[in-house]
Amino acid sequence: MADLTAFQSWITTCATAIADRADDLTELDRAIGDADHGSNMKRGMSACAQLAEQEDFSSIDAYLKKVGMTLVSTVGGASGPLYGTFFLRLAGPLAASEQVGAHEFGQALRAGVEGIVARGKAELGDKTMYDALSPALDAFEEAAGAGSDLADALQAAARAAAEGRDATEPMVARKGRASYLGERSVGHQDPGATSATLLVEAAAQTLT
Amino acid sequence: MISLVVVSHSRPLARAAAALAAEMGTGGGPRVEIAAGLDEETTGTDGVAIAEAIGRADEASGGDGVLVLLDLGSAVLSAEMALEMVDPEVADRVRLSAAPLVEGLVAATVAAGAGGDLERCAEEARRGTEAKRTHLGEPDGAQPSAPKDDGDQPCEWDCIEVSVTMEHGLHARPAARLVAAAGSVAPDTRVRVRNQTTGTGPVDALSLSSVATLAARQGHVLRVEATGDRAGAVLQEIEHLARTAFGDEPGPAQPLADVEVPAPAVSDQPGVAGSGLEAAMGPAVLDRTVPEPEEREADTPQVEQERLDAAVHEALARLGELAQHARRHLGQGQAEVFDAHATLVRDPELARDVGSRIQQGQTAAVAWQGAVGDVAERFERLPDPYLQQRAQDVRSVGDRVMRILLGVAEPESLGEGVLVVDELDPAIAISLDAAAVQGVVTRRGGALGHGVLIARARGVPVLTGAGELPDVAAGTMIAFDVRAGRLEIDPAPEVQAAFTEMLDRRRREREHALADTHLPVVTRDGARITVKANVSSVAVARLGAGLGAEGSGLVRTEAVFAQWHRAPTVDQQVEVYTAIADAFAPHAVTIRTWDVGGDKPLDFIPIAEEANPFLGVRGIRAFRDDPALLLDQLEALCRVGRTHRLNVLFPMVTSVDDVDWARSRLQEAARRVGLSAPPRQLGVGIMVEVPAVAVRLARLARGLDFISIGSNDLSQYTLAAERGNPQVAPWSDALDPAILQLIRTICDRAPEGVVVSLCGELTSDPDVAGLLVGLGVRELSASPSAVPTVKARLRAASLRDLQDLAAGAVAARDAAAVRDLLLT
Repeated sequence: MADLTAFQSWITTCATAIADRADDLTELDRAIGDADHGSNMKRGMSACAQLAEQEDFSSIDAYLKKVGMTLVSTVGGASGPLYGTFFLRLAGPLAASEQVGAHEFGQALRAGVEGIVARGKAELGDKTMYDALSPALDAFEEAAGAGSDLADALQAAARAAAEGRDATEPMVARKGRASYLGERSVGHQDPGATSATLLVEAAAQTLT
Repeated sequence: MISLVVVSHSRPLARAAAALAAEMGTGGGPRVEIAAGLDEETTGTDGVAIAEAIGRADEASGGDGVLVLLDLGSAVLSAEMALEMVDPEVADRVRLSAAPLVEGLVAATVAAGAGGDLERCAEEARRGTEAKRTHLGEPDGAQPSAPKDDGDQPCEWDCIEVSVTMEHGLHARPAARLVAAAGSVAPDTRVRVRNQTTGTGPVDALSLSSVATLAARQGHVLRVEATGDRAGAVLQEIEHLARTAFGDEPGPAQPLADVEVPAPAVSDQPGVAGSGLEAAMGPAVLDRTVPEPEEREADTPQVEQERLDAAVHEALARLGELAQHARRHLGQGQAEVFDAHATLVRDPELARDVGSRIQQGQTAAVAWQGAVGDVAERFERLPDPYLQQRAQDVRSVGDRVMRILLGVAEPESLGEGVLVVDELDPAIAISLDAAAVQGVVTRRGGALGHGVLIARARGVPVLTGAGELPDVAAGTMIAFDVRAGRLEIDPAPEVQAAFTEMLDRRRREREHALADTHLPVVTRDGARITVKANVSSVAVARLGAGLGAEGSGLVRTEAVFAQWHRAPTVDQQVEVYTAIADAFAPHAVTIRTWDVGGDKPLDFIPIAEEANPFLGVRGIRAFRDDPALLLDQLEALCRVGRTHRLNVLFPMVTSVDDVDWARSRLQEAARRVGLSAPPRQLGVGIMVEVPAVAVRLARLARGLDFISIGSNDLSQYTLAAERGNPQVAPWSDALDPAILQLIRTICDRAPEGVVVSLCGELTSDPDVAGLLVGLGVRELSASPSAVPTVKARLRAASLRDLQDLAAGAVAARDAAAVRDLLLT
């Protein structure tokens, strides 16, 4: 079961991971996009990481909503509204929860990922963050359905996300700036799928 | 009216796009809110900021709706996100447009300005690339939308044909005005346009994008059709628009043409109105000058360019504030100075020059200084003195950006006293606190600079061109008198006392004069004198009437239309002359026909270069070979003269034949407007400025209603000394007793019933005005600001005393002796 502190730890851990990998993310984005994904995500996530110090949150959902709004305002690129939507939707099913288990988190994760799909209108294979998040969600639900607890289910999700991320390399981008490149986007890992994997991996480390 | 929101990754981009669209403005365009960039420099979009912008836009639209124009990528996602954040009721009134940002924004701005609803504006935005696509011959454009015909029901279309006269054809701005005209009668009256020359159309006149597809170039003929209740009215309006080149010609009589009229204060607010005394005394206040750019290694061109862009941007913002301030306190004309400055800052040529200097490795400050200096020098080399002085504007704008680049604060608050500056920056002129700054002395720069004009309009005394003042330390006592052209630095106590006394006297006199200025002038011994105002624009006419002038004794038409590149049409002239006559009604106004040549060039009346222009083709001489433009002017005067009290005044008349020829042209013009003779109440007169006219006046003036002495030219022709040449200044004084003698002769020789008027600069000095009355002049035309004082002074005098004064002056040894006489 994860409490507010664990969720705050998820965000700070993720912020650190993103900051550590910011240059890599930017490099990936330079190959097929506009070379700003690393700096955008770093700016957004570090703003989120400071939230816990700036404000006392009374609940998990209030905290996650604030994270979502912060991303919307600070990321700047398309990841802002996408991840912003993810966290805002994630917060919904967790309203009034003080301790979150595998079942509840599964519902929240589904709402969050569906939010991203609705916002970005992406499909599997478009070479986007959804290509990492979708297998992660499936793996999480499968594990949770089989009786795994939150930590184990997230471990499964993180592995699936990484596999999904790696699978984006041979894909042809069909969304965002990368779509202008068409076939030339083949051979590059998608930066969005990469940051999404970092997000899930951070969850696996902290939400226990 | 609907509002617009611009969403972009870049704040400068959004702002520039909005500015571009605003240029299409026919006034009263839609509210445009901007949500762009994360901050001034960081690229990105912010859903929360977009939601807020939508909220503000919705409020401004009063519920008419909000159209959001976006650039790409996250702009779309963030905007959709924003729609989820706003009140659902508001979200229902919002459309996100897929149109390309710039084209869509321009099209939507025009459509909204024409009163289009949300759907219409969204459609216009969507079709924003139509003209471009048609031009480039790319397929797949939506067909230009013709207004739907009412199926089988035939409807009546009224139509007119108009010509496109603009050099660049019916380009965006004129087209926007056409759309606005059509919008003013929509939806009950519909307007459509065809290009008769190319056979395209008809297209809906409400659609800028469709009108643009007509590709109407100079010389093309447009057929404009309208149906509905107000078809006639809208066609008339469009016809008028077409005649005035769809508003692309400079408008009538910009106030800036009024280069010689120091107008009084226009606001009662403390600190806004100056003393109006044309003199001041106080400790010197020095303007902080702009330092030279520091010497340092330039950063990369990109960094330097960004530095410059930021400074230019900040300068534009400040100019916007100043324009607003000016509009509030001083009126549109003064505000336009700052708009003009903004145009200079944005000048693409200048930007290119600075850009290439930066590319060559200069710092932003050095590049800016160099490029601005070049532009200022180019202005200074122009032959026209008015344009020469625009160099001052360029330097003022340059300093503004320079201050920002160097981090030097603008001189916001100036201490109390007399401000001493090299040149008077318009921004300082407008923002200075007239309660603290009693007067201004400029080292450089003439009386025509914008800053000087603004300060004078506020009634702040300004002494210009004081030259190389010894380095005055701040706090040094300074006293000056504009009327006497006198400047005292660190004056002795008795001189200070005399100044204080003079200022007090002028203050009392001015208060007194303003209180009584609308009363007629009758001297103490019962002589009736008329005091009129010299006029160079409609605005000045209104000013003069407000200050108690009993009509105008001289409307300088060449000054009224000085800014025009093309001759005004008869209709345009009728409009302007009517406005001037209305300003002075029921008093008469005297309109002088085009007085070109000499030092007064007009773009639309070219005069061949002459070795000695003052003795060359001037005044009516310029029309002997081709009277067309004179006939147009006389036709306008005959038309206005039927309903208003007008006089027509012919300049530079020399011979009897000149008078006969001029009168025949007036007769010809009268026939053009369907009259057998000029309107009876239209008075006819001539300028007396050539000495020969004074000699044979009895014969020349026979049958005329009045004569008008032009003391400026009469002096220079009589004394053979050009008034603008400082080297012959000792010989060109209009108070020379010979000139006074000549004026008296003219008054004596004028035939019975012919009114003698005098309209030169002499009249504006109240002491000299009395002298002129003593010489026999009964009608004076002075600069508007001088009217109250001149009237008051004459009222307090007796004709007998003035005649004695005149007798003494005519007998005096020289001009200096005349001045001494006036002071006693």
